Amino acid sequence: MTIQSVDYLAIAPPLAVAVLAILVLLLDAFLPARRRALVGLLSTFGLVAAALPLLWLGGDHRRTFCVPATGQLARSCSYVVDDFTVVFQSVVLGGAVVVMLLSLDTLRDSRLPSGEYCFLLLSSVAGALTLAAGRDVVILVVALEVVSLPAFALVGLRRYDGRSSEAALKLFLVSVVSTAVMLFGLSLVYGVTGQVHLSRIAAVLRANPDLPRPVLVVAVTLAIAGFGFKVAAVPFHFWAPDTYEGAPVPVAAYLSVVSKAAGFAGLALLLTRGFPSYADVWAPAMAVLAALTMTLGNLVALRQSNAVRLLAWSSIAQSGYMLVPLGAAGKGAIDSVLPATVAYVLAYAVMNLGAFSVVTLVGRRRPDNLLSDYAGLGRAEPLPAFALAFALACLAGLPPGLLGLFAKVVVFQAPVEQGTGWLAVVMAINVVIGLYYYLAWAARLYARPGSAPDPARTYRVSWSDGLALGISLGAALWFSVLPRLILEALG
Amino acid sequence: MDGFYGGYGLVGLLLLVGVLFVTVAFVANGLLRPTVPGGDKTVTYECGVDPVGEGWAQNHIRYYVFAYLYVVFAVDAIYLFPWATVFAAPGFGAATLVEMFVFIGFLAVGLLYAWKKGVLSWV
Repeated sequence: MTIQSVDYLAIAPPLAVAVLAILVLLLDAFLPARRRALVGLLSTFGLVAAALPLLWLGGDHRRTFCVPATGQLARSCSYVVDDFTVVFQSVVLGGAVVVMLLSLDTLRDSRLPSGEYCFLLLSSVAGALTLAAGRDVVILVVALEVVSLPAFALVGLRRYDGRSSEAALKLFLVSVVSTAVMLFGLSLVYGVTGQVHLSRIAAVLRANPDLPRPVLVVAVTLAIAGFGFKVAAVPFHFWAPDTYEGAPVPVAAYLSVVSKAAGFAGLALLLTRGFPSYADVWAPAMAVLAALTMTLGNLVALRQSNAVRLLAWSSIAQSGYMLVPLGAAGKGAIDSVLPATVAYVLAYAVMNLGAFSVVTLVGRRRPDNLLSDYAGLGRAEPLPAFALAFALACLAGLPPGLLGLFAKVVVFQAPVEQGTGWLAVVMAINVVIGLYYYLAWAARLYARPGSAPDPARTYRVSWSDGLALGISLGAALWFSVLPRLILEALG
Repeated sequence: MDGFYGGYGLVGLLLLVGVLFVTVAFVANGLLRPTVPGGDKTVTYECGVDPVGEGWAQNHIRYYVFAYLYVVFAVDAIYLFPWATVFAAPGFGAATLVEMFVFIGFLAVGLLYAWKKGVLSWV
């Protein structure tokens, strides 16, 4: 028995973010109060720096924290950097940078403790980065908890606001219950197979068809339920609108983009790498979940008058679209599931960040953030209004938002090719429902404002907000012009 | 009573026996004993001493923070003990020693933060 060598380049992104988090916490404790703004800037630049190793890791295949081959089981590793990992880590870091930029002004203008805020956000990001690379059940669960635990505190940081505490408590209770349910499922998996590595679980299940099937079916279902909470899939979605509304808006953006992407990474990894031989069990379940999620999300979104709540329900509906490839996974077509899911998650992250950037901007002047506050925004602030309109067109999947259109086509292909036509029909109907509320919002931007013009109408956009807006709008435009980049993200 | 579900059958049987035992004991007790309620018998039993105060006792909220800080050391100890049994074994060496100090360093940051934020001073 010897100590194992660790590939530090492979674990560089999460390691850098974790060290940065500690550094930020210490800096905040020792800096004089007037220098606290440095903490936010350092976190932003640190996140950009943490993305640099991804340039070297792209196209590489690195593995670390491995166990040697035993008997018929091949050598398997807990931490793997492949294309999937690199793409997801890029999404997480890109999303985190935009959220951090949006947070800078929020931290300055509010009573939020900036050091703790940055520390918690960075800790959560470190968890999300680890999750994308985790290839064993223990790492997946621990990383998922590292994503969630700081998120509760982030949501509840506005201690002077009762809604914030309520939001944090709801998120905490739902998340803890879902983790317990998931852990129970995974403990059953370990009990039956005796393995924690995803590749080994798959190998044992393939080699021993006589394992107790009912136990494994229950285990897979419980694990799906646990991840269902994290990605806000119906019927585990009810925490999302209240939590998004009660949290600071950049935190809501974080939950709906980075935290959700992490949940999808975990779910997709667990199902396609750990249980490919049980696709006939989980695929129909995911199909039903997908159909329910998108339908309920879209229908309730129709009735919303608050921008953040509308985005919350819309992100529930988008979760439904993201579940479609998993729902259409047939026995022989597991390999096509991951690229489709990844493509949609990537597109969703870009377009949702665009929408949230503008909503954050408007929320600075109009804390209620009602849809009626957006009337005539196109006249007062043409560029943010254009960014929001473009993001909404993408979310609706309507030209000129080609990014959203291509992502929907990729997801749409799966059920058509795999013969689950009903799911394709449900999705098509839902896209049409979604058109209504996205376009109604976009049309409001260019409508004549009903009341007298408001003196505080012009938004003085700061450099950080402008940069966040520019990054997300730029990415959305770029991917709309070159959609191949997304479609071929996984080769 | 063998096989995968047989094991659960045994647990169920034990549960049934346990419930029966308690039921029989209490019913027999109720039938056999004389019933003379009232007086001191309604007072909470506290090791033979007269009870003092209410059932709800308040602790100072400040202990809550100390309970948190205790967790820092508890987690520390949980990892230190198994590590202490192997770190001197052949194959482990300076690297293992350094790793543990890195871990302790991370925990110490928590304590440092608490100290700097004035949590450790009892006002």
